[in-house]
Amino acid sequence: MKRHLPSAICLLLLLTACHRVEPKDTAAEGNGTTTPAPQSRNDGRTLRLFMWSEYIDPEVVRAFEKQNNVKVVIDTFESNEAMLAKLQGGGASYDLATPSNYVIATMLRAKLLQPMDKAQLKNFGNVAAGFVDPPFDPGNTYTVPYQFAATGLAYNSGRYTPKQEDWSLIFGPEDTVKFALLDDPREVIGAALKYLGYSVNTQKVEELREARNLLRRTVQKQGFESFAGGPEIRNKLLAGTIDLGQIYVGDLLSGAAEDERLKVFLPTPGTTISTDLLVLLRGSPNPALARSFVDFVLDGENSAAISNYTYYGNPNRAAQPLLDPFLKSQKAFSPTDEDFQAGRVEFINELPQGRVPRLYDRIWTELKSR
Amino acid sequence: MRRSHPLLSAWAWLTYAFLYLPILVLIVFSFNDSKFGATWQGFTTKWYSVLFARSDVREAVTNTLLVALSSTLVATVLGTLIGFGLWRYSLRWRTPLTFLLVMPIVIPDVVMGVMLLMFYALVRGGMELTGWTFENGFWTVMLAHVTFQISYVSLTVRSRLAGYGQDLMEAAADLGANTWQGFRQVILPLALPGVLSGALLAFTLSLDDFVVTYFTSGSGFKTLPVLIYTSVKKGVTPDINALSALLVLATVLLLVAGNALTRPRRVER
Repeated sequence: MKRHLPSAICLLLLLTACHRVEPKDTAAEGNGTTTPAPQSRNDGRTLRLFMWSEYIDPEVVRAFEKQNNVKVVIDTFESNEAMLAKLQGGGASYDLATPSNYVIATMLRAKLLQPMDKAQLKNFGNVAAGFVDPPFDPGNTYTVPYQFAATGLAYNSGRYTPKQEDWSLIFGPEDTVKFALLDDPREVIGAALKYLGYSVNTQKVEELREARNLLRRTVQKQGFESFAGGPEIRNKLLAGTIDLGQIYVGDLLSGAAEDERLKVFLPTPGTTISTDLLVLLRGSPNPALARSFVDFVLDGENSAAISNYTYYGNPNRAAQPLLDPFLKSQKAFSPTDEDFQAGRVEFINELPQGRVPRLYDRIWTELKSR
Repeated sequence: MRRSHPLLSAWAWLTYAFLYLPILVLIVFSFNDSKFGATWQGFTTKWYSVLFARSDVREAVTNTLLVALSSTLVATVLGTLIGFGLWRYSLRWRTPLTFLLVMPIVIPDVVMGVMLLMFYALVRGGMELTGWTFENGFWTVMLAHVTFQISYVSLTVRSRLAGYGQDLMEAAADLGANTWQGFRQVILPLALPGVLSGALLAFTLSLDDFVVTYFTSGSGFKTLPVLIYTSVKKGVTPDINALSALLVLATVLLLVAGNALTRPRRVER
């Protein structure tokens, strides 16, 4: 046996080199009970999604598979940057992805997207007003909002109850609460800018300088605990090691379902918001199927099911009445249209190339290396 | 042998605690009846049943093992031959060749991953011109793993052989063996502990690898490390703790088995 090993290996390598993907058009007899196995890339029967983990209700996926007699393959990524790297390398052919709004400009520059073709989405009318025609994609040519996350301040009421729902709890002169901030430059600098009454996307050096001075004082406070990710801050609040934490509302609410002492609010005078979007990738092997999936998700019932699973914000008007009563009871879960119009919640946008993003970077580096 | 200083052994114990306490916490928390594991909410084994019900996890485990086994097999055979070659032929090329073999070990994973991703894209582009095509998936991941495993195997084999002189092969030749027979019947048994530890190293490296796999896996093919790492952002679910606990257990068993296998033995025959 061992004698044949070298030749077996050679054979293996040869096979590898010429592994041919046969175009299988022998469509399985669709009796509706079995989902077909994934076949070649553009068989019209396999939908490939690239998204965040735990970001879709498996029941909704199953319903779509059953309705169309197709197979949905989901791969996950852990950061927008890792997703971009994989897509730009051209090694993977996905139909749809769920990037955050601030990388859309980058994806467009890299020619990674193709138009969503709104006319084919009969449920597009369900999109809530604040999410139609967003600044990062005028006219919703390339993107359809999937889920969103406003950034709130959370506390464990078993330990601490805030006097007012305001950023001054953190940025004010008092230094009695123990708090943690998100490990994200735009969120932290954005919060400071909002507290000062400026836009989270400001390009004015003067305003940024003010924010920098404020943040410098803030991280020097006794109460400042750390910069951390959303789930980590949620766990700190659950464990009661901090009083207040800046957090994505979705991450907190999933914890509040387990421990009702956890509360979250959108602090005045305003806060940041970011959306994750469904985008149709340029290399999509099955664009028609992808569009029908987007339409499926835009359906109020399905969209509500997804939010009830992820606890992330829902940009779908038709879904609102169908949301979990717990989610509906949370003011921080759905900013109102007025919140959007008054600029109380503001999208984090990509900054123009050049000096301004370097300023943001410098502020962040300084804070982190304090 | 001199008994070690008490401070030194205390330091050693501290180091072990530092290394192993987190693992212990992980295992304990895989039995925690809380969705987030920040606080202890009581004992449960439900996460294990949740875990076993997940088809994506089963698929990822299968993929991981398939990739690890096949890539280890290929890398071990090729690496052993390279290790033997480096020992046998003291060419002036030996230094640059060794250098080339060390490269994949020192190159950062992410560079390796992106490099291979681009390489595959290039190859695919070329092949599509001729009407042949392939998708990134099992084969690309397997080959990518082989590229870094070969280095480890060949270096362990070479260092295992380093103590032996060329006279072994000459003696074999005097007895009528050709190079292949000399290799097969004299050198390979001697190098076997090196081959086995190289293979085990390659196997664990493959099980472990996230970055290279992430970049070379295309769509729809994922291994356990990819599955776990990409869950981190939205908070790891407790069934992943259960999975990690099982992985630790499997690794320990593998280590014990590996230890037993590679214990220096007298060569028979």
